[in-house]
Amino acid sequence: MDDFTCPRCRTSKFQNPSLKMMVNVCGHGLCESCVDLLFLKGSGSCPECKIPLRRNNFRVQLFEDAAVEKEVDIRKRVLRDFNKKEEDFATLKEYNDYLEEVESIIYNLSNNIDVVNTNKRIEQYKRDNKEQIMKNKGKLGREEYELEELLELEKQLEEQRKKEIQMEEIETKKKKIQDKEALIDELMFSNADAKNIIETFAQQAQQAKEESVDKLPSRATKFSTGIQIGQRSNTTFLPVPTDEGPLYTYKPIILSVDGPKPPTTDEILSKGFINHVRPETEQGRAGGFRSIIACSRALQDSMSGLFHSKKSSTVH
Amino acid sequence: MENKLRRYEKIEFLGEGQFATVYKARDVETDTFVAVKKIKIGTRQEADDGINRTALREIKLLQELHHKNLIGLLDVFGHMSNVSLVFDFMDTDLEVIIKDNTIILTTGNIKAYILQTLQGLEYLHLNWILHRDLKPNNLLVNAAGVLKIGDFGLAKLYGSPNRINTHQVVTRWYRAPELLYGAKQYGTCIDMWAVGCILAELLLRVPLFPGESDLDQLTKIFSVFGNPTEETWPGVKQLSDYIEFKPLPCIPLKNIFTAAGNDLLDLIESMLVLNPIKRREASECLQLPFFSNKPAPTLGSKLPLPKNVRTIRDIEKPSLKRKILDAAEGGTLSKRLLF
Repeated sequence: MDDFTCPRCRTSKFQNPSLKMMVNVCGHGLCESCVDLLFLKGSGSCPECKIPLRRNNFRVQLFEDAAVEKEVDIRKRVLRDFNKKEEDFATLKEYNDYLEEVESIIYNLSNNIDVVNTNKRIEQYKRDNKEQIMKNKGKLGREEYELEELLELEKQLEEQRKKEIQMEEIETKKKKIQDKEALIDELMFSNADAKNIIETFAQQAQQAKEESVDKLPSRATKFSTGIQIGQRSNTTFLPVPTDEGPLYTYKPIILSVDGPKPPTTDEILSKGFINHVRPETEQGRAGGFRSIIACSRALQDSMSGLFHSKKSSTVH
Repeated sequence: MENKLRRYEKIEFLGEGQFATVYKARDVETDTFVAVKKIKIGTRQEADDGINRTALREIKLLQELHHKNLIGLLDVFGHMSNVSLVFDFMDTDLEVIIKDNTIILTTGNIKAYILQTLQGLEYLHLNWILHRDLKPNNLLVNAAGVLKIGDFGLAKLYGSPNRINTHQVVTRWYRAPELLYGAKQYGTCIDMWAVGCILAELLLRVPLFPGESDLDQLTKIFSVFGNPTEETWPGVKQLSDYIEFKPLPCIPLKNIFTAAGNDLLDLIESMLVLNPIKRREASECLQLPFFSNKPAPTLGSKLPLPKNVRTIRDIEKPSLKRKILDAAEGGTLSKRLLF
């Protein structure tokens, strides 16, 4: 990294230790001051390959070789669309072929081999797999979101632990002072042997220490396990009941019509009832209306209630 | 009339719609919870036309309908120029259940919900009534796991050959393609399409076709089923609002419902058919193998409930302390009702 020089102003890391190399999508580096100078307006062209660039696409160079930066950029862009996972393929071979293809596309783009055709390939893929890409994007987003949540949780726990430790320290300090005062009081006013008093106090202190040692490890596991498991989300699901009820069997509804049984659909067709109803229009049929509906309703309406009497109405 | 007012004790406000406000109340005579739907009077001009049309439909139709999967109209009473309808009290609805991401819906659960919906609908269609506004929000569920079809504000008798109906019915996401194309005569198939959409939503936990406009709705539908042609849907071009779409490919349902079994896919396929004539009726659907196959539909008491209802149910269970108290005093304390 030390022998870096900006290709434009020839400043090297040796001359200016605070030199920061920036890189853009084309993979050619520039130092920070040159970027500031050349891209005052927000956009301009690369001094080496004359490709139009935007200022906000510049970022600090992480790798020594600027070409690596370029590949990272291209990879990021390509993988945004080529976001299939192993689960999306039937066989391992298909998945491997897919990975191979992605790699060859990235290689071609980063080494300027057959760029036009490669871009066409990407476009073609995008068109063919539009839905899958959108779906996987959503999935990815959810995973990221969960990760973020996890991090947030971890942070909160960390803070809580810090606070607790602080509180504990204060507590112990207080306790020490109290113990000391108690000991002195005891020595001043008690009639017992000074040696005995000191011994009992020492014993108590020892006991307290042991207790606190016992306490500490349990708390530590409690904090660490929750974080290290990793796949823990905040939502807890309700238990799924396993026992089942009886299986369903269909029983047709029997309507009481208080009259003679209206003809069935087949009878309406075969016995010519249908001929007395105006046929459905083409529009009506397209909307799902059949003249048989009207016919069957008219027949049912005309027959229901024919046997009606006061007695039968009280039954209902 | 005065005693009717005293019969129902208002407990809390439940919700407000375009035409009515709904309260939870206690029926003093039977000591049960009920839902009282108080129809809004509206502006003076509306009031001049008499009672609100949606309320009239509910009163007219529900009085004669009695089925365990249809909301029961228990009572109607008026006060001043106002009308109130008294319904069975229902704790929640399918929309809440679908949106509650702590609930896992198993095939058995989904089967139980769709089964009850179809049974209610079969009865409704057999009585020549179209619901015309089926959506998860209108499928009410109580704490005992019984599903009842509610909101009959758009319901109407069907089967008259010369009656022209409006196609501006059913919430857009659940609206059948023939309605979107402006069909003025239609049948039970529009309700079946809505049930298909609801079933899909139970599986996916998001609406199947969340269209932003009527046109967008059709685009979303056709992007799954492909566009209709004269062969697949005879007469479609005659419909008044027919629009030609650019050819779209058909996606197999298996790709959308990746976790669904074949019998379940059959059910979805028989309800979500573009051509309304080809769509199966409720009674036909109920005879499909999906319902008689394993897993059996979940028992009502085992169906999952959203969090707020769960806690209420737990609270209303008499505690051990209460039981001991009751035993000691010979059960003189009036027990609170279990839902």
